Amino acid sequence: MPSIQLRSATVDFPIYNARTRSLRHGLLRRVGGRIQPQGDLVTVNALRDVTLSLHAGDRLAILGGNGAGKSTLLRVFAGSYEPSSGTADINGSVSSLLDITLGMDFELTGEENILLRGAFVGMSRQEVKQRIPEIAEFSELGEYLHLPVRTYSSGMMLRLAFAISTARAPDILLLDEMIGVGDRAFITKTSKRLEKLMDTASILALASHDTATLSRYCNRAVLLQEGSIVMEGSLATVFKAYEATSPSDNLRQPS
Amino acid sequence: MAHRLTSRSWQFAKRDFIEGVGAWHVWLPFGLKDIRQRYRRSRLGQFWISISTGIFIAGIGVLYAVLFKIPPHDYLPYLAVNYIVWLLMAGMANDSTAAFVEASAYLRQDALPKTIYIMRVLVRNVTIFAHNLVVLPFIFLVFGFRASIAMLLVVPGLVLLLIAGFLTVLVSSLLSTRFRDFPQIVQSTLQVAFFATPVMWAPQQMGPIGWYFVHLNPFAIFLQLIAEPIRGKAPDLSLYVGAGIIICILLIFTLPFFARYRARVVYWL
Repeated sequence: MPSIQLRSATVDFPIYNARTRSLRHGLLRRVGGRIQPQGDLVTVNALRDVTLSLHAGDRLAILGGNGAGKSTLLRVFAGSYEPSSGTADINGSVSSLLDITLGMDFELTGEENILLRGAFVGMSRQEVKQRIPEIAEFSELGEYLHLPVRTYSSGMMLRLAFAISTARAPDILLLDEMIGVGDRAFITKTSKRLEKLMDTASILALASHDTATLSRYCNRAVLLQEGSIVMEGSLATVFKAYEATSPSDNLRQPS
Repeated sequence: MAHRLTSRSWQFAKRDFIEGVGAWHVWLPFGLKDIRQRYRRSRLGQFWISISTGIFIAGIGVLYAVLFKIPPHDYLPYLAVNYIVWLLMAGMANDSTAAFVEASAYLRQDALPKTIYIMRVLVRNVTIFAHNLVVLPFIFLVFGFRASIAMLLVVPGLVLLLIAGFLTVLVSSLLSTRFRDFPQIVQSTLQVAFFATPVMWAPQQMGPIGWYFVHLNPFAIFLQLIAEPIRGKAPDLSLYVGAGIIICILLIFTLPFFARYRARVVYWL
């Protein structure tokens, strides 16, 4: 069974070449994780002591201001950031649509890019080749698949990227905001495909500021602030808390 | 830092190694793509690798044959073999410094084994080596060639070099990601190493101290292990012992280092 288990997971980034923060900067700072100077070394706490467990059927909404740790949390779910302290156990195949154009090579043709990306997500060459017609049809790129990606418009490139990264249905699906790709006709197509992926995925984690979107797809929520989970529970209660921390109330006492 | 060397980190490192090295279907196309991309849109494509190596050997070969007063038909084949093996070693060392940094985007998003990026560096350089080998038949055709059973010893030599190369790339890529001055150190070391290694000269020219130049320089040991068999000579047993010792030292140093800092790489990007 796919599952995600975080036990007091902390993500601390050492910043080796940061200047010691000035008082003025400290007063002005209103976003991001806590910055801790320890001598010459500055550490950014992107995530602090997060304990969370997700099981099949969970659809997690991740809320929080800029720099609250939403993307970092998603990357811990993806397994790319192993916590600097605490543990993260992730079971199941993960598809993180955080950056769908990842690994796109502009000099290679669309088809070569499909093969390359396919290998990365663990498909055999055979399997990828079988999926090429489907990807070609979905992206509507036609003959362009035989041309280098640098000849594509940015919209076309996103179409291809989207078609590749959603070709395979994962157990765990991670999304940083809903992806809307392409022109009007294509957007309905992408959201249909995305919704299908979200349905088949056993666990979904979606980070967004838009409570309407979140309530449509999610069944539980966490609110992040300065890298910690400050609230966890049903959508309604967490939304309420999120709205209460709206920017005007967010002024912090200078530390 | 809270990252200590725990049984958990050993276990993860072991899994990373087994899965990463086993994932040939990822690192093979990945490494080949790098080569293809580098020469995309050029008419001769990746054969520029062979051509530029050929030009270097012809030019420098004639020049140094005159300088050293060695007949070109002796010196050119000697230089050609050495230089091609040197390019393989130096290429791996050079690429190692960027192995993780150039893969930042992948490392931040995917939980792929880190050793995949090490294998990618090896694939890239072995591919270049294969292209450079094309030069040798031409050299041998012009200057003569004797087939010998000792040539089979190229295979163990290459295997030993790739094992040592893997470990070196691994440790150097970790250091280069954490300490951004390290790539500069590697580059300047390589420049000196090129002249300190018997690529353009022969150890015999050094007289009695030649032995030390060969046996105390890891580059020279692996160079001889591969270049000598190509010239039809079985390498001295002491060279195999030397290679074994180097690999052991690398193992003792690299494995705990990798186990401890493997998970930190993505934090250093």
